[in-house]
Amino acid sequence: MNFKHVFLKRTCPMVTQIAEAHRKPRWLPVAKSKIYRIPKRPVISTEERLELQRINNNYNTQMRAIRRFYHEEMIKERSSLQSASSEMSQRLEAEEWEKCVQINDKWNSQVAAEREERRKVELAAMEDFALKRMEVKDAEMKDKIAIASEKIREQKELCSTFITPETLEAAIDHALANPTDYNFAIDLKGNQFPGRDIPITYEKNAEKTNV
Amino acid sequence: MPLPPASGTGRYFVKAAKSIRLIRQGCTNRPFYHISVTHRRRLNSQAVIEQLGSYDPMPNTNNEKLVALNLERIKFWLGQGAHVTNPVGELLGLAGFFPIHPRSYMTAWRNRRTERENQAKAEKSTESTTTEV
Repeated sequence: MNFKHVFLKRTCPMVTQIAEAHRKPRWLPVAKSKIYRIPKRPVISTEERLELQRINNNYNTQMRAIRRFYHEEMIKERSSLQSASSEMSQRLEAEEWEKCVQINDKWNSQVAAEREERRKVELAAMEDFALKRMEVKDAEMKDKIAIASEKIREQKELCSTFITPETLEAAIDHALANPTDYNFAIDLKGNQFPGRDIPITYEKNAEKTNV
Repeated sequence: MPLPPASGTGRYFVKAAKSIRLIRQGCTNRPFYHISVTHRRRLNSQAVIEQLGSYDPMPNTNNEKLVALNLERIKFWLGQGAHVTNPVGELLGLAGFFPIHPRSYMTAWRNRRTERENQAKAEKSTESTTTEV
């Protein structure tokens, strides 16, 4: 069991994703092949060791000084912040606020003028765009109307040949008087042979049979 | 319930020890670190108090390892008595905020030494080949 997480969860009740290292559990013994292995100790020469000691000592001293400096700074800042509620500092702050507001207003007016100009230009561009689009649309509509009227004209011309109830009888009479037989044949030269019963003459075949 | 943000929850115990450390945020084969202040006894996978910067240890196309530091907040947390881990100390030393970390010096001189040795070896091998010829 890993009690660490339980403990940590209690002290810090937050959902945390915990990615554990994937290694073998603590209760497993040392591998047989590794029982008598003694890790090699790093060899550091005396010279290097002394040098390291020296620079580490220097570093630690300097760090201590830095740390103390920032700590004192923090204390100073805190005390100065406490004095920030005095009348003098409040007046100063108000003045600065006033100044900031003025600057801000100036900038705002400047930006507003720029924005107005830009808006005008944009509006003009939009109008132009819309007008152009409308023109294109009008031209399209005109073309469509022209095509449609052309079609209507053609149909009206054809209208005279239509069979109406008045001309129906005449049309029937005409059709009966002139029967059309589509049952004709065509040879390679385009000659029509109407009728159904035409004697077929096989010229070449007849010759062949004669021979 | 959403996870706590990597940039920090801002909640902490006043008297508990804090530490400024690197917290690995990258994925497999792509290390990336946040420099965060957190409780000293907390795991790196747990919520931090505040993020103070970032460190990308992989050189970019311009051969730079980028570090970002929020020095104002680092100063604040140092004033609160936060501890600084060695890797962060090294980074801050190279940034000129702290004195150079002894470990930086050590790695530098060790690297120089190995380079010298390698060079000597290479020279020796070239000499031997020339004599053989």
